[in-house]
Amino acid sequence: MNNFSFYKDGKALYCLIFIGILLSFSSVYAKYPARNNINFQLHQVQGTITDGKNPLPGVTITVKNKQNSTAISDYSGQYSISASPNDTLVFYFIGLKKVSIPIRGQKLVNVNLEYDTTTLQEVKINAGYYSVKESERTGSIAKISSKDIEKQPVSNILAALQGRMAGVDVVQETGVPGGGFSINIRGTNSLRTNGNTPLYIIDGVPYSSDPLSYNQTSTTIPGENSPLNSINPNDIESLEILKDADATAIYGSRGANGVVLITTKKGKSGKTSFVVTTSNGSGKVTRMLDLMNTEQYIKMRKQAFANDGITKYPSRAYDVNGKWDQTRYTDWQKELTGGTSEILSNQLSISGGSEQTHFLISGNYRTESTVFPGTFLYKKAGAHLALDHKSENNKFRLNFSAGYTAQKNELPWTDFTLISRNLAPNAPSLYHENGNLNWENNTWQNPLANLEGKNKNATYDLIANTVLTFEIAEGLDFKTSLGFTNLNSDASRTSPSTMYNPSFNYGSEYSSIFLNTIGRQSTIIEPQLDWNTSFGASEINVLLGGTFQNQQTKTVIQEASGFSSNSLIYDLASASYLSVENNETINYKYQAFYGRFNYILYNRYILNLTGRRDGSSRFGPGNQFALFGAIGAAWLFCKEKAVQDYLPFLSFGKLRGSYGTSGNDQIGDYQFLDTYSSSGYHYQNSNGLMPLRLYNPDFGWETNKKLEVALELGFLKDRIMFTTAWYQNRSSSQLVGMPLPGTTGFNSIQSNLDAEVQNSGFEFTLRSVNIQKPNFNWTTEFNLSIAKNKLLSFPGLEISPYKNDYIVGQPITIRKLFHSKGVNPQTGIYEFEDVNGDGQITYADDRQTPCNLSPKYFGGLQNQFTYKGWQLNFLFQFVKQLNFNFASTQGYAGTLRNQPSEIVDSWSQTGDIVPYQIFTSGTNQKAMQASEYFAESDGAVSDASYIRLKNISLSYDLASKWFKIMNCRISLQAQNLITITSYKGADPEFKDAGFLPPLRIIAAGFQFTF
Amino acid sequence: MNQNTIISKKLDRNILSALMITISFFTLFSCDSFVDIEEPNSQLTTDAVFESKATATAAMTDIYAQMRDNGIITGKLAGISNLMGNYTDELVAYENGAYSSEPFYNNSVLPSNALILSQWNASYNQIYAANAVLGGLDNSTVLTAGDKNQLKGEALFVRVLNHFYLVNLFGSVPYVTSTDYKVNSTITRIPISEVYSKIIEDLLTSVDLLSQDYVTSERVRPNKSTAQALLARVYLYTQQWDKASNMASAVLNNQSLYVWENDLDAVFLKESTATIWQLSPDYNGKNTHEGAAFIFPSAAPSLVALSNTLLESFAANDLRKSHWIKAVTDGTDIWYHSYKYKEDSDTGSSVEYSIVFRTAEQYLIRAEARAHQGNLIGAKEDLNKIRNTAGLPNSDAVTADQIIDAVIQERRFELFTEYGHRFFDLKRTGKLDSALNYKTGWNSTDSLWPLPQSELLTNPFLTPQNPGY
Repeated sequence: MNNFSFYKDGKALYCLIFIGILLSFSSVYAKYPARNNINFQLHQVQGTITDGKNPLPGVTITVKNKQNSTAISDYSGQYSISASPNDTLVFYFIGLKKVSIPIRGQKLVNVNLEYDTTTLQEVKINAGYYSVKESERTGSIAKISSKDIEKQPVSNILAALQGRMAGVDVVQETGVPGGGFSINIRGTNSLRTNGNTPLYIIDGVPYSSDPLSYNQTSTTIPGENSPLNSINPNDIESLEILKDADATAIYGSRGANGVVLITTKKGKSGKTSFVVTTSNGSGKVTRMLDLMNTEQYIKMRKQAFANDGITKYPSRAYDVNGKWDQTRYTDWQKELTGGTSEILSNQLSISGGSEQTHFLISGNYRTESTVFPGTFLYKKAGAHLALDHKSENNKFRLNFSAGYTAQKNELPWTDFTLISRNLAPNAPSLYHENGNLNWENNTWQNPLANLEGKNKNATYDLIANTVLTFEIAEGLDFKTSLGFTNLNSDASRTSPSTMYNPSFNYGSEYSSIFLNTIGRQSTIIEPQLDWNTSFGASEINVLLGGTFQNQQTKTVIQEASGFSSNSLIYDLASASYLSVENNETINYKYQAFYGRFNYILYNRYILNLTGRRDGSSRFGPGNQFALFGAIGAAWLFCKEKAVQDYLPFLSFGKLRGSYGTSGNDQIGDYQFLDTYSSSGYHYQNSNGLMPLRLYNPDFGWETNKKLEVALELGFLKDRIMFTTAWYQNRSSSQLVGMPLPGTTGFNSIQSNLDAEVQNSGFEFTLRSVNIQKPNFNWTTEFNLSIAKNKLLSFPGLEISPYKNDYIVGQPITIRKLFHSKGVNPQTGIYEFEDVNGDGQITYADDRQTPCNLSPKYFGGLQNQFTYKGWQLNFLFQFVKQLNFNFASTQGYAGTLRNQPSEIVDSWSQTGDIVPYQIFTSGTNQKAMQASEYFAESDGAVSDASYIRLKNISLSYDLASKWFKIMNCRISLQAQNLITITSYKGADPEFKDAGFLPPLRIIAAGFQFTF
Repeated sequence: MNQNTIISKKLDRNILSALMITISFFTLFSCDSFVDIEEPNSQLTTDAVFESKATATAAMTDIYAQMRDNGIITGKLAGISNLMGNYTDELVAYENGAYSSEPFYNNSVLPSNALILSQWNASYNQIYAANAVLGGLDNSTVLTAGDKNQLKGEALFVRVLNHFYLVNLFGSVPYVTSTDYKVNSTITRIPISEVYSKIIEDLLTSVDLLSQDYVTSERVRPNKSTAQALLARVYLYTQQWDKASNMASAVLNNQSLYVWENDLDAVFLKESTATIWQLSPDYNGKNTHEGAAFIFPSAAPSLVALSNTLLESFAANDLRKSHWIKAVTDGTDIWYHSYKYKEDSDTGSSVEYSIVFRTAEQYLIRAEARAHQGNLIGAKEDLNKIRNTAGLPNSDAVTADQIIDAVIQERRFELFTEYGHRFFDLKRTGKLDSALNYKTGWNSTDSLWPLPQSELLTNPFLTPQNPGY
């Protein structure tokens, strides 16, 4: 089905054909130049490789310019390789300086390799359209590489970022497999709640993060599906996050919220290597809510009725009126969300290549089960291919990469977390003795009936990119990047008749299904000219390019009901009623021209200018185009003679700064049109047409001005590296879906607000090689982000719909809250500060205590120890924040609904001085109202800071001890192992309360390399 | 100096070639029309919608579909038939939770209540859609005057019906007549009397515009009589007895269309000739939301049941008790549900539609109005028509007040679980407190729903909140 639609799409086919043609004239299988000059007699060269003291196993030895000669040093550091007397040997080992030694006729070549701490500065950082040496970059770019990613047993790369990058705040939204993460890079820029996602670029191809979900078919996973579930973390070589204007302005309108660049793994020259990785883990919920037991609960219920003056328990109060056993106790959280998620992951990768051509092919398969009852499985299988080739004269280069991922996620139709927290502890047993579901004479809704309804989601995702580079002249390259993405997603949610109480006698004519099918294709062409030159002490790099992107999203949403049999529920042809709720094709076109001018003088004064002119179909006529640009500069003052003379301990020093603009076009398509569309409702057997939206033809671009200054220092030959950055981003002309009152007929309208939001903060990173001994190595990395958000101005706020949400001068992440004065000992009801003194408590006037819910600071501390073949890594993540506690979600206490055990401390008679108010069964309107106020008061907000042992991994390389031809690594990894928090609730990490908390995962794995 | 010249010459050449390539490159692609897109295939511009009768009609009938499935008059549990039944003394909620009938049954509805908000939003969304139809028709150059009049009349009727329920549930509310969000987002509440005068003005226009005959074979699109029936009710609520009586007569005198149904089991069938306006179902085979919401096949009920208070008030020989109510038992206890609509699921082809206006109400309106006017004979005649059909003897009420009381009582038995009639009757006759004080949660300020909390927050001009909230 998926293949069918893929081939059906002309563009996909053309793209593949094009790639095929390119491959056909590439010289993958062409003769190697080395074969032509085997005139020299080969002889064996031997030697020992040490790091100065101890032998070094695993060093790759190659013969320069010869593809077939590769050797790896053995456990005693010895190697042997055949080469001709005029050849040069190249010794290479990660973390050590690469050494080339001409043989000059010798038979014995012993080598000392030095640890390479300075290479950090030489590492090329991917900046998207160009790459830049770490030491010479003018922008703010954070990076995580495969060595950190591989240590974490996660299926989404965003999980691997938590605690590792300054300025990047990642929150897991649910512990359900296949769930999403929210990511904020340097704070919340937009008042638009869904307008703060960064731009994702995978191997040069922008990857749309527009939601695929439809509320009827994504009932189990909150928020939007994370697009990055489609990429296997182990296929990622590096992930860079572009933060400041200098780095993001070249992405223009899409760079405001930062850019996430993902580079997948590539093959390397050398012998073909096979890597097999397998890992097996299990996960459990990190933290449960502490709820009342039956005794406490029944006491609460009886007290509630007594408080309300109700002596005869109503017929529907089954828990206390005698219908249910009042001594029975079930820990529903354990019963419904206390299971163990089994996680299996396997991966095979084959890579290798000649000097001219490299390849890498990998495949992976992963399964995760849920912590819910029932059998549900998330399956993910993927393949990744990378191929690169350069012509013999190095004039022509080709890079091709493709990734295909299939995900199948089967979940119950609802998350059991809220149900498990709300069920009365004396609710009946789940099963009858005969194994059937127990409905206890229709007195409750058996939660396990929910297992009958399934939420299935299948996503097939292809990302391919080809980059052709041709050197026109010395230093002048013409490059074209051709990208293609194809995503197909099928989601469904079934409600079979078996979900209902069998006494209703509902047959399969009651069964229904929602289906959501989405296909999204995008093509991108980015021609680019890159010119490098140097004269005197100057180096100039000029880059000019264009982008043409076309994205088409087709959506079909269907609802069907009335099946002849529940087994036919996925067969729409068997439905007696079928309705197409939505069937639309959305086009998005985007074009840009961009350029960069980089000037380096004396290797120490660097100027970087970038700019972009963007056009987007998301804006109406006259508003489609906008200009963005930035200036960045850096001064490598460590290269100044004076500094070298007077500050010899300073091995590296750089001051850099940038200022510029970028924008945001995450506003959805066609919003400027005044249109009707099919409503999905029928009347007299014909389809209805409804107005789609309030329209505003005049909205335009929002701009984000970014300013940054940073200082980077290296000490003791760069064994200690310290970076500190200060930034200030100002986002103005806010493009928002302005919330509107219902009297307008709709809830929002697209428009530009004259509001200005500022995000500023400090970011610190520290990397220190504490101990560097031949056999023992200890490295510490630390990052800290302190961020501040502020609404600078908002003309007309007082008469706008935002009046009750924001305060000028305060962060936009505040919530206005009532100020709780505790429980009145006389009435037993919560009291609040009457701000305007009118004797009444009202939302508009008295909810005036601002409370900032975004993290005050967050960061991570990572330590890595290596001892011989052992490696121990651990990462502590910390977040200082406030958040709503259980009082915000549990409602008023006293109804047929369990409550946190802390609530037992509630008011029951005059004079009680207690933290929680009077119980009510649901008739004390004053108490109920006060409970609602309390849920939006500072009383319901408490410290939600936490320190989490985010990741710990221990591995051991059996390496060459037992195996000559194979490396074997055994590893033990854990995620979210320990959480230290005083949070009043379940897990302190969440975006929306009431969903399954993140899981604590422990996994064991093996990796074989041969 | 010399060397510099060489460098700069070399540079010049390089720059020149770079420039050449750049220029050709940009001329190749610098075509801004790349970002122009066609209109999406699934959307029609508003202008295009009103250039054809079929699409203009689809824009209008969609509002009925929306009303059927969302908002105040839906027969689902979220509609007022259920909510106001619970709010008064007709129904007992068996659901739990904030997004259920429970707070309505307990008369402890808070401003944050999600159902209140969804009723409010759905109503104003339907009003917007009606106003959009009115605006679209005004600009249309293609539709015939006849088609325009019918659609305009329907749109005005829909606008009125929503405002009518809003004003009775929330008290003074904004009366929205445009689609301009700048106006509507800062709109204020206007006094109840002003809302009613706008309602009457719109309805009179609607009555003028609508055709007497139903425009399609079924009674699913309002005709002139439908607007008159609503107008009769509006006059009754505003105590304009003459007009109420005349307007009800205008409907009932149309005897070619409206034939009294003596069989209680046939009153709620879709073919009933006592029906003035009913809602077409989503598809053929589907029956009413009311049937699905109220009927429970086995005890105990999981959603809602009729209250004992209502059951005990019926006369023993009232045929409506045996034909429109059904008992369900679990062996020990017994529960009752509304059985006006008898189908709770799909049938081969639809049997019942949700009936919004039927002639029985018009007889009762006229009876009450006539009693107020002093036409006691005429009043009793109308009242007895209803009683006799239910197998009851003629009313023994004598004085005007007795007759009025008897009519209000009769309305309770005739119109139970239909669109909150019980609540509105108690309210307009000032009997809410006396009738509902037996409920633990009842307060006299419960005569009005609270305005939705979020609405007050997004429109600072909508204050004040109703008393008691």
